[in-house]
Amino acid sequence: MTIAIDINKVDHSYGDFPVLQDISFSIETGDFFIVIGPNGSGKTTLMKIIANIIKPLQGRPTLFSRPLESYPRKELARKVAFVPQLAALDFPFTVMEIVLMGRSPHLGLLGWEQEKDFEIAKRAIAFTETEHLAHRKLNELSGGERQRVYIARAICQEPQIILLDEPTASLDLAHQIKIMDLMEKLRAEKNITIVMVSHDVNLAAMYAQRLLLLNRGRIVTLGPPQDVLNFKTLEEVYGCTLLVDESPIGRFPRVTLVPKKFLPTPDP
Amino acid sequence: MKPPIVLKRLMTVSFVLLLLLLAAMLLGLSVGSTGSSLTATVQTLWGKNEIDPTLAAIIWRIRLPRVLLAALVGATLSVGGLVFQALLRNPLAEPYILGISGGSAIGAIIGILLGVSPFPGVSLFAFIGSMATLLLILMMVSGQTILKRESLLLSGVMVNAFCAAVIMFLVSLTQDSRLHNIIFWLMGDFSMVDARQVAILAVTLLPGMILIFWFAHPMNLLLAGKEPAQSMGVHVKAVTVTLLVTTSFMVSATVSHSGLLGFVGLVMPHLLRLLLGPDHRVLVPACILGGSTYMVLCDLLARILPEQGEMPAGVITAMIGAPLFIFLMKTSKR
Amino acid sequence: MNKEYPGLIDFSPGFLLQPVLKKLQIMIDAIKSALKSACCLVIFSLLTGGLFLPTAFAATFTIVTDLLGRSVKVPADPRRVIALAPNITEIIFALKQEHRLKGVTQFSDYPVEARKLPKVGSYVQLDLERIVALKPDLCIAIKDGNPRSVVERLESMGIPVYALDPRNLNSVMETILAIGMLMQAENTARDLVQTMQTRVARVQTKVSQAASKPGVFFQIGISPIVSVGTPTFIHELIEKAGGTNLAAGDTPYPRFSREQVLGLSPDIIIITSMTRAAVFERVKEEWSRWPNMPAVQNQKIFITDSNLFDRPSPRLVDALELLARLIHPEFIKENQSP
Repeated sequence: MTIAIDINKVDHSYGDFPVLQDISFSIETGDFFIVIGPNGSGKTTLMKIIANIIKPLQGRPTLFSRPLESYPRKELARKVAFVPQLAALDFPFTVMEIVLMGRSPHLGLLGWEQEKDFEIAKRAIAFTETEHLAHRKLNELSGGERQRVYIARAICQEPQIILLDEPTASLDLAHQIKIMDLMEKLRAEKNITIVMVSHDVNLAAMYAQRLLLLNRGRIVTLGPPQDVLNFKTLEEVYGCTLLVDESPIGRFPRVTLVPKKFLPTPDP
Repeated sequence: MKPPIVLKRLMTVSFVLLLLLLAAMLLGLSVGSTGSSLTATVQTLWGKNEIDPTLAAIIWRIRLPRVLLAALVGATLSVGGLVFQALLRNPLAEPYILGISGGSAIGAIIGILLGVSPFPGVSLFAFIGSMATLLLILMMVSGQTILKRESLLLSGVMVNAFCAAVIMFLVSLTQDSRLHNIIFWLMGDFSMVDARQVAILAVTLLPGMILIFWFAHPMNLLLAGKEPAQSMGVHVKAVTVTLLVTTSFMVSATVSHSGLLGFVGLVMPHLLRLLLGPDHRVLVPACILGGSTYMVLCDLLARILPEQGEMPAGVITAMIGAPLFIFLMKTSKR
Repeated sequence: MNKEYPGLIDFSPGFLLQPVLKKLQIMIDAIKSALKSACCLVIFSLLTGGLFLPTAFAATFTIVTDLLGRSVKVPADPRRVIALAPNITEIIFALKQEHRLKGVTQFSDYPVEARKLPKVGSYVQLDLERIVALKPDLCIAIKDGNPRSVVERLESMGIPVYALDPRNLNSVMETILAIGMLMQAENTARDLVQTMQTRVARVQTKVSQAASKPGVFFQIGISPIVSVGTPTFIHELIEKAGGTNLAAGDTPYPRFSREQVLGLSPDIIIITSMTRAAVFERVKEEWSRWPNMPAVQNQKIFITDSNLFDRPSPRLVDALELLARLIHPEFIKENQSP
């Protein structure tokens, strides 16, 4: 197993406020790696550091054993694709045009697409089951449909690693599963490394090979879901009452939130 | 090997618009306060007009520089509006948004009040004025936040508002015939241009236009968001700053010759985007050619509509531009 | 819609030129824009090569210095003169040289014959095309008003422009003499100037007998109220007519609030504007609301024709005489010429 991304003693702050402290871990090729943690734990910052959008104050991440910052932008874009959180777009691009944008790291100076680029885009659209949307304008689509389009765009970059920032936030149940299944398909069929930030602990538990639990900028645990998701650690990190048991559909943990009304009342 | 699809669209659109532009320019050359005749104009241009050398002088030395300036101004303002709309990811952006209108107006007014000659004097003052406000805004928004489009927009709006106050103050002080010159400058006026000015302007603008065309694809990507664009391989900061400075420079240079013409930079990109789609690789040449055609026609109207004398071209662009813009907004909402 | 690639708007028509290599297309676009600027450069060099307007007559020329100190090559016997301001038109008619005049500005309304001549725009917004179309061999301009850029354009096209700068009565007379020299009418000019000087002297003698110099408020603007300062013709006329210009000062056209005018307590108010009589009545009535003002008490609120006072032409002397009659009626009776 090759190391895709290696993070070694990375620190970062916004001004005086420390966001990440002493972060070290590595991600292997073909991994399904999900970062979880409460709000403000530094998950998104970590993702942006991996995507080389932010340069950390301390520490030099490496990508395939080369320092991340040494990669020229276009070359990096051919290796790593970043799917951002859903954002509004005021301009009437069609789905096809958006997906084609993903080809830009492979295009020449002026960005003119060839036959081959259209073929790749078509395949990416087929892969994400968005053919029926290809001629529609992006801002007419629902959240889940848009997310699939962004993934198709990422696929067009022909990356070896795909980074996703909370891809299932604000999506309906069906789309949540669809997106995660897509990621698993990419990983299994094309050996693409998936690195994701998620707020949904259960979804993460079902798909991740390894979980990274962050809290207040520090790593709490790193490992397979069964190891990371124990109720003591989770209760400490998230600060609420939880129940952790094994899921009825597979050998992975299931986390249940416990509302106050179900808590036993203390004896008088 | 089949040519890229975008190239076919580009060629078709450019060809059609170029024809329209040439037709508009021919029309513009045939019309003036001394009467109009299409055939006489064509004869003169072809060099076969021996009967009336005065017409030749009028066409070559009075009408042609004017039509050429109108074309250049229309092209620059349209493509400038397009670039700012892409950089600021805001379809309401227009080329004066970064204090260019305020700064150049103050510069021009100071030049007029000091009594310097229109060219190079007033133009130079106007140019320096707009560069000064641009610098001011860039300083106000320095560092990483230059990419934060809200702060750029806000600074631009504030600076323009402040300049407007200064302009009103200066205008209230002026009581003689210079007031007339100032008002005309503020409304946009092509009438006092000569060939030398136009040649210099054209040479200045050409590299800028090529650069913007070069960056058309990155502009598409920028619209997806600055982080996605970065992850797709775009040097977001470099592209943004380069386009910002180049476009501001071009718009300032243009405005310093022609005065402030409104609505072109706002309306043309929208109109063309509605007709041709949001791909900047097609929109950039379309704005250049379409914007120049529009401006040449507006200048034409400014010359023939009034009974006596002529209107400032800026009045025409506003009278046509404003209702056109409302119409466009309504259509695109559907 | 493109059927092969849904979502892509395809504009391909049938006639397309087939480019050979992708790289060539970049060149073609660059060439297109280069063509535009090349056009400009070609034209530029053509024009600087010199496209001179043929003059109607193969005339003789003299080099003169105009009243701004510029050296101008003018035809000795100009036949196609364009007057770029109304006062120049008046002077040319006064010198009986109107047969040389081929074009005037919009508001050249005196004398009445001038209204029939072709117009070349207004004196602040000259129409270059119309001027050129009239094929002039001489243009006469005034500094305060005519746009410098137009003058420069005309000269760059080979049309001589003689500039004047009349600022007071004396320079108006200089102007008349200069135009007389240009039009081969020196004697007429000298006679005219002589007459003007005599009339002025007569007025001054008469009013010097007056005991006092009444305060005159000369109102040229209604809203806002604008008067005339020292650097204007009108100031000179008021003073020579035996009055005191209450708005005297460095500002040529100072603005006043109503209060300030009341504070000045004018003996005479003279209103001049291009507006009609109805407006004058309204303004007069507004002043009449202040009965403490001497001008109101003595019913000395008058209206005059602004063109008489504004134009640096021979009629300024008429204006002077009129003012003298208004300010010192005791010396100069209404229907008596002084």
